[in-house]
Amino acid sequence: MAGAIIENMSTKKLVIVGVTLLLFQALAFMVGGLIAPGPTSAIEYLATKCVDGIKHRQESKWLMPWGPQQCEKLQNFEEAMAKRIEANNIVFAVHIPMPGNEMSPWFQFILVILQLDIMFKMNNQIEEGAVVTIDVSLAYRDDLFSEWTEMAHSFEHRNLNCNFTAAKTIENEGRQYDCDALPFMEVGSVAHKYYLINIRLPVNERKKINIGIGEIRDIRLVGIHQNGGFTKVWFAMKTFLTPSILIIMIWYWRRITLMTRPPVLLEKVIFALGISMTFINIPVEWFSVGFNWTWMLLFGDIRQGIFYSMLLSFWIIFCGEHLMDQSERNRFSVYWKQVGPIVFGSFCLFIFDMCERGVQLTNPFYSIWASDIGTELAMSFIIVAGICACLYFLFLCFMVFQVFRNISGKRTSLPAMSKARRLHYEGLIFRFKFLMLVSLLILDVLVLMICFVCVGDGGATSGEDIQLTTTITHADGPTEIYKMTGKEAQE
Amino acid sequence: MDNRPVPRSRTGAVPHLLQLACLFLACSSQLLMVEANSWWSLGLTPIQRPEMYIIGAQPLCSQLSGLSQSQRKLCQLYQDHMSYIGDGARTGIKECQYQFRQRRWNCSTVDNTSVFGRVMHIASRETAFTYAISAAGVVNAISRACREGELSTCGCSRAARPRDLPRDWLWGGCGDNVHYGYRFAREFVDGKEREKNYPRGTKEHARILMNLHNNEAGRQAVYNQAHVACKCHGVSGSCSLKTCWLQLADFRRVGEFLKEKYDSAAAMQIGRKGKLELKDKRFNNPTAEDMVYIDPSPDYCLRNETTGSLGTHGRYCNKTSEGMDGCELMCCGRGYDQFKTYKHERCHCKFHWCCYVKCKRCTTLVDQFVCK
Repeated sequence: MAGAIIENMSTKKLVIVGVTLLLFQALAFMVGGLIAPGPTSAIEYLATKCVDGIKHRQESKWLMPWGPQQCEKLQNFEEAMAKRIEANNIVFAVHIPMPGNEMSPWFQFILVILQLDIMFKMNNQIEEGAVVTIDVSLAYRDDLFSEWTEMAHSFEHRNLNCNFTAAKTIENEGRQYDCDALPFMEVGSVAHKYYLINIRLPVNERKKINIGIGEIRDIRLVGIHQNGGFTKVWFAMKTFLTPSILIIMIWYWRRITLMTRPPVLLEKVIFALGISMTFINIPVEWFSVGFNWTWMLLFGDIRQGIFYSMLLSFWIIFCGEHLMDQSERNRFSVYWKQVGPIVFGSFCLFIFDMCERGVQLTNPFYSIWASDIGTELAMSFIIVAGICACLYFLFLCFMVFQVFRNISGKRTSLPAMSKARRLHYEGLIFRFKFLMLVSLLILDVLVLMICFVCVGDGGATSGEDIQLTTTITHADGPTEIYKMTGKEAQE
Repeated sequence: MDNRPVPRSRTGAVPHLLQLACLFLACSSQLLMVEANSWWSLGLTPIQRPEMYIIGAQPLCSQLSGLSQSQRKLCQLYQDHMSYIGDGARTGIKECQYQFRQRRWNCSTVDNTSVFGRVMHIASRETAFTYAISAAGVVNAISRACREGELSTCGCSRAARPRDLPRDWLWGGCGDNVHYGYRFAREFVDGKEREKNYPRGTKEHARILMNLHNNEAGRQAVYNQAHVACKCHGVSGSCSLKTCWLQLADFRRVGEFLKEKYDSAAAMQIGRKGKLELKDKRFNNPTAEDMVYIDPSPDYCLRNETTGSLGTHGRYCNKTSEGMDGCELMCCGRGYDQFKTYKHERCHCKFHWCCYVKCKRCTTLVDQFVCK
């Protein structure tokens, strides 16, 4: 292999390159930890119980929880009972955001989950397999005085999954069930300032709608959105990184085309990895600030998917090209066995994502997890993808094992070789070991980060916030370095 | 069926002489260290919602009885909070009555001004519990009102708000309502104790320290029972992105937690440095979550005007129970009267999730036991 610099590179230069990359990484971490706020915020809203009086119906069908045109409110349902108001006339109203604030496109998305506070009553318990039917509508407006414009309206079914920890005796009446949070809504762009959600729980005894769901005391919504500050820092980093990667990539490809021989497979793969990284890095999200593009979330998912499948393929091919078992590879088709699971797994996840986020483009209240069939379908997609991931991992492990075996085999025969051959093999071994070490380190960091993200249950402290921030801002940071090292190695 | 006795009024068969005597006693022995009025009374008298009071700021706050100087000041600054403080006091009192429904002292309210009566003058366990649960009620109610969007200063709004709230809404969001509730409750509930000034080491000072400690224990209980809920929302629902928030527990749980703390409350005395210290040094020092008390509980068996105990005469009891609600313990060995009564119950009901019940009425004849 011609032009492989890393074998000839002095240790000093290598150290300089490594340190520069590490410094960049540290800088990115500092920005993420010190400047950027937490990536997302969760705001809890308690739905206001409004009375949808028949007399008011003509005025406006939207009921406001507070403000100048607020609805006729109920403090609790005992009051409704006394006033002889029926369940069908009660509307739960939630205004997003809280009074005095306004939403902004910088929030990128709103994700809302629904929690029902259901009281235990001896006579009115939640039945087995109860389903809640919600009649929900979403509206927006951009100033405090104009009319609400409808954005979506839908009838949704959600399975109630509640359990009661105490004994079901008359003594424990008035306690609450522990109910799982239900997926409620996902909007992929925040183009408007104010949003209003009106929820109804219609009762129909004949059709068995909303019967046997216990005695509801309150409806709570939790709205999650990305923080504006985080978005800004994130965009800034993307905008800064894209040109630098582009420049490196162009320079790299020029170097390769300048050579007399055609580019080998590994070089092509590295270039492809570069392209996919540029693709994920290009800050097209800037447009979401100006335009109401709800498909941005889906697009982001697809970009991430492409990048990760490219990265996984790269690892396989990188190992394969270093097998040193005389057989000629250098063709993509040789790797179909290993790359196949990656492609198939990503495809499964893509279909799943289309079923969830794709449908949410038209109906923000849709959730694949809401119905039993949907849950099974989603689970099967995810399981298939998981099996593919396992397969891939096995292949990769096997290949790494093979490489190490071959290396030790070559080591013993090294002294007997001619000088040119020995140098060639020594170079290969050195390069491989170096990159293997780097990738192991990166894998470690990634795993550590995932652990930090997942062990968030204990309580969100500021330390964890920083971890989260850095994880999200720089999930592709390590891979960045990785790729650059790979290129250097290839020179 | 409601087995709780109705609150009894203090006047009645008691001779005036006794009342005078007890007033005299109160003046001399207790030095009136606790005023008759308390903010708890907000929980008993309904407060009009603030919309009607937007123009006249003063009337609401001066009309409310039971507020101390600093509380009145807070009332003027945060008028819209007052009705929720009332709600908080009410839920606190209700929960107290639920938790103590089977005890000799059953947290019954005596009148609208002093609320629990003279029992609160004694620095007993029961007093400790009452202070704690009402403080907890305020935290709960304020943070609930926050989440409903009812309070203009809550969360992140730019209007006047307590210091060091989280960063700006657009930059980092702000949603910790529990925190706001906690801080406001501390300002309001503790305000009354903090404005009093007694020399260190006196009995009155000890009582203030005790109240402050128990108020804090109550507020911490709300935090303690709250749990962190999380939601994963990464690519394809993976957990690469995860958001967590603090979720308040049902107030019944807070009440139960505080009841446990009541059972394990620490007996204290005023130390030489003017701080509270344990009576029995062998125990561990109480943490901020624990309750403390100074005096032993009075005898709640018999009606006593000096201590303010109502006695258990006329209370319902359970003949078969061996616990505190059993007739033996509840009636303090005085015996009980038995009578038969019809109990009307709703049965074979059809329910909706709200506001609709269609029932038959079933009547059963039951035995009732009432303490002599």
